[in-house]
Amino acid sequence: MVIDLSTFYDMPRQLDKLLDTFFSPTTISQRKFAYPPVNLKEDEENIYVLAEIPGVDINDIELTITDGSLVIKGERKSEKGNYYRQERPNGLFQRIINLNIDIDKDNIKAKLKDGILEVVLPKAKESKPKKIAIEQN
Amino acid sequence: MTEAVVQKNRENIPIFSPYTDILEKEEGFYILLDLPGVGKEDVELNLKENELEIRAKARIPEQEKVKNIHLEFVPGEYRRQFTLSEVVDKENIKASLKNGVLTLFLPKAQEAKPKKIEISAE
Repeated sequence: MVIDLSTFYDMPRQLDKLLDTFFSPTTISQRKFAYPPVNLKEDEENIYVLAEIPGVDINDIELTITDGSLVIKGERKSEKGNYYRQERPNGLFQRIINLNIDIDKDNIKAKLKDGILEVVLPKAKESKPKKIAIEQN
Repeated sequence: MTEAVVQKNRENIPIFSPYTDILEKEEGFYILLDLPGVGKEDVELNLKENELEIRAKARIPEQEKVKNIHLEFVPGEYRRQFTLSEVVDKENIKASLKNGVLTLFLPKAQEAKPKKIEISAE
């Protein structure tokens, strides 16, 4: 019997590809070119949204929360001068983050430090996990 | 992610080449680098002859018991090198860090500044 191993010979590359898809955040969503880059985290109490927005003053960022989504809006201004190199993004940006969970809108906190925006969104009481006691007969 | 990963260092922290603007104004040159997550104490500037090297470490607050749902940027190190032109007055380079942007001001040496030439009428 002949076992065709040819598909396995490409294993290392296949594995690399597979690992790439795991580790590159772009495959989680289509967001490769979205600005600003955003990290989402959660624990039992809150959802944390972190965004890299260097060079933007807190007054130039607008945060809005609507039903089910958080909107980060702002503008990156550029200096005037004779540019030799311009890599830093500039201009208006907007990013919408969908939240599939009820948020306690009155207790949202946001801070900006070293160019990283952190928004803490407390989960509404109804959406927190609850333990259900099982009655014993 | 903000920048392309250049390489990884020994501790397996990714090293990024930060986005940079270089511009010239009348008084001198400005180099602006995006260093999100970097505090004042985490920046290292080294000037060796004409080579200016910037190294910085980003600190992104880690919390316990917090699950990652979706990541687009990771804490890492920033490194970038620049070669300075002769025109720059190396003694008077100024650096400031604000909102995650490092601004380097490189004044022009006195001889290189544009001079107005007076025309004397006879």
